[in-house]
Amino acid sequence: MTERATTASTHLPPAAEIEQELEETAFKLSEWMSQQGIFIFTAALILFATLFIDGFASLPNITDVFNRAAPIGIVAAGMTFVVISGNYLDLSVVAQVATAGVVLIAVSNAAGLPLAILVAIAIALVYGLVNGVAVGIFKANAVIVTLSTTFIGLGMLRWLTGGSIYFGPGDGPIRLFGSTRIGPLPLAMIVFIGVTLLLSFVLTRTNFGFMVRSYGSNREATRLAGVNSGLVVIGAFTMSALGAMLGGFVLAAFSNTAVSAMSEGYDFRALAAIIVGGTSVFGGRGSVLRTLLGVVFVSVLTNIMVLSGWGFGLQQMAIGLLIVVAVSVDALARKATAA
Amino acid sequence: MTETSTPPAQQVGSSQHADGAVARLRTILGRRTEGRAVALLGVVLVATLILEPVVFTSYEVTLGRVALIGLVALGLTAVILMGELDLAVASTLAVSGVIMASFDSLLVGIPVALATGLVIGMVNAFFVIVVGINSFIATLGMLFFLRGAAFVISDEAPVRIADIDAGIAFGRPVLGPLTPRMLIFVVAFVALHIFLTRVRVGREFYAVGGNREAAYDAGIPVARRVFTGFMISGFVAALAGVINALERTAADPTAGSSVLLASFAAAIIGGVLLNGGRGSVFGTLLGASSLGILQVALTLSGVQVDVQNIVIGGVLLIAVITDPNSLRAAAGSFRALVRSRSGPQPPG
Repeated sequence: MTERATTASTHLPPAAEIEQELEETAFKLSEWMSQQGIFIFTAALILFATLFIDGFASLPNITDVFNRAAPIGIVAAGMTFVVISGNYLDLSVVAQVATAGVVLIAVSNAAGLPLAILVAIAIALVYGLVNGVAVGIFKANAVIVTLSTTFIGLGMLRWLTGGSIYFGPGDGPIRLFGSTRIGPLPLAMIVFIGVTLLLSFVLTRTNFGFMVRSYGSNREATRLAGVNSGLVVIGAFTMSALGAMLGGFVLAAFSNTAVSAMSEGYDFRALAAIIVGGTSVFGGRGSVLRTLLGVVFVSVLTNIMVLSGWGFGLQQMAIGLLIVVAVSVDALARKATAA
Repeated sequence: MTETSTPPAQQVGSSQHADGAVARLRTILGRRTEGRAVALLGVVLVATLILEPVVFTSYEVTLGRVALIGLVALGLTAVILMGELDLAVASTLAVSGVIMASFDSLLVGIPVALATGLVIGMVNAFFVIVVGINSFIATLGMLFFLRGAAFVISDEAPVRIADIDAGIAFGRPVLGPLTPRMLIFVVAFVALHIFLTRVRVGREFYAVGGNREAAYDAGIPVARRVFTGFMISGFVAALAGVINALERTAADPTAGSSVLLASFAAAIIGGVLLNGGRGSVFGTLLGASSLGILQVALTLSGVQVDVQNIVIGGVLLIAVITDPNSLRAAAGSFRALVRSRSGPQPPG
């Protein structure tokens, strides 16, 4: 690319030079977009929704957006570790969120809240360990591994619950958590912001976070520097699992019900939020705070689609397209940096 | 690469000379790629013969299942051989079925559906080659997009095909016990086998997967080969979608999610290395046979779909962590753990 650029400026006719310049501008633009574009896009989307979508800028709707954004956001914040570690994503959050929600309601109905939380934490650690060992120690592909653990986990959950819906008691801590609001902010949203700040601290200020980022940008160098790469990957998947667990708690508390199908679409919504936020799917670059912004974007977009009467199919198409476009912008930006 | 590998039983038999046996076992494991599929097929065959022999008396069902999983897995094999992955196959299957069913005439619907598969393959390859996105992510985005598209086109409900008689006729045996679906699978299998072992373009798939840089330097048009691979996989997935819709006389927008898992498991346990460059169509056939028989056996013994998903998911997980590269990586990690005080290890 560099070679081409030099020849272009010295030998090529003006038309080709302009073309070259345009190409370079496009590359710069795509790089800028993948880094800073999300601020503009989110602001523009919210402005658009406020002006043109009936019912968007009302307190009940905004509370609803927050309520739906919080669980996805917590899941995405945890999954950001997996993406930054260069392991694409954790598809099994779909199974993990539903499992945590069902465990929270069903086990606390039967044996009390503390035991429910302990069981859920144990399950999350198992998920983190299985995914992490397969990907980190056996170096198996993360997409395939988490695809299989999704089917195993969801299969177990549906088999054990028979697909039945669990209702929490009308009063009690879960219901209280799900219904408490401070102004337009549900408690869930405050938990989401707290989790984001905490995970952001872990990613940027701790040794573990540094190793995750380092492993994502250069595996071989990280390994040669004496870092136990297996443990880093296990840690990243455990963060994702704990995030998914907390997301499941929040989701179940919101409606005070839980069912094995309640987390449908969490995999690609969380991934879309992470990538749109500007965390690179190629690993090494990104932040949890950016994921927060991506979650706002995806949630507002989903809300606009719902208010406009789009069905699940169209929503899925739109989010799928969003993922492909966002990754394309990132890929083109990387080409620009490399050139 | 294409000959049958030695069954594990014989490898165990030669264990008197421990060192020699280990070395030979290593050579065999290193050279052959179908060993795990042979082992799984053996286990599944023996277990079904004892527990559920009806699988073999109602072989039409079993062969039909093997053909469906095998067809999708064949397309995947072409892509995985080059070190890429096509996660979109499941949605391609659903979309092409729905598209075919939404036309009034099958004569129009089938070609359009198959063309859709080719176009999807081209789009996938475009993102991978031109834009430069990792194929796992590009085809994952396409998977979500196309799954949504199948829902939108079908209005979120199964679509009946226009010519139900043709669908019923399609499910009847035409040659001995073989239905058209199995014949198509056999033809596809033979065609792809010849393509990958005897045709130059197909042989170059192995080169692209083995070492892309070297393949490029040797003058192989890498980008075109990857495009061909994704188009094969898209076309074959669309073909599977058409066949599936014809046999059920209706296209289901949710079709394909269990096929996705089983066909991946078939290709990977069949020895197709996810990093590319190694594997054979024959191994995929063995993998598809074992998974097809397993699924039918579970269904016929009244095992719920959820439990079947656990089993197939487990097979896929085991398949992906027992491929030679993974085992080597795990052994390396273990050694590094043991000798972690002796300083950094040389790469390798």
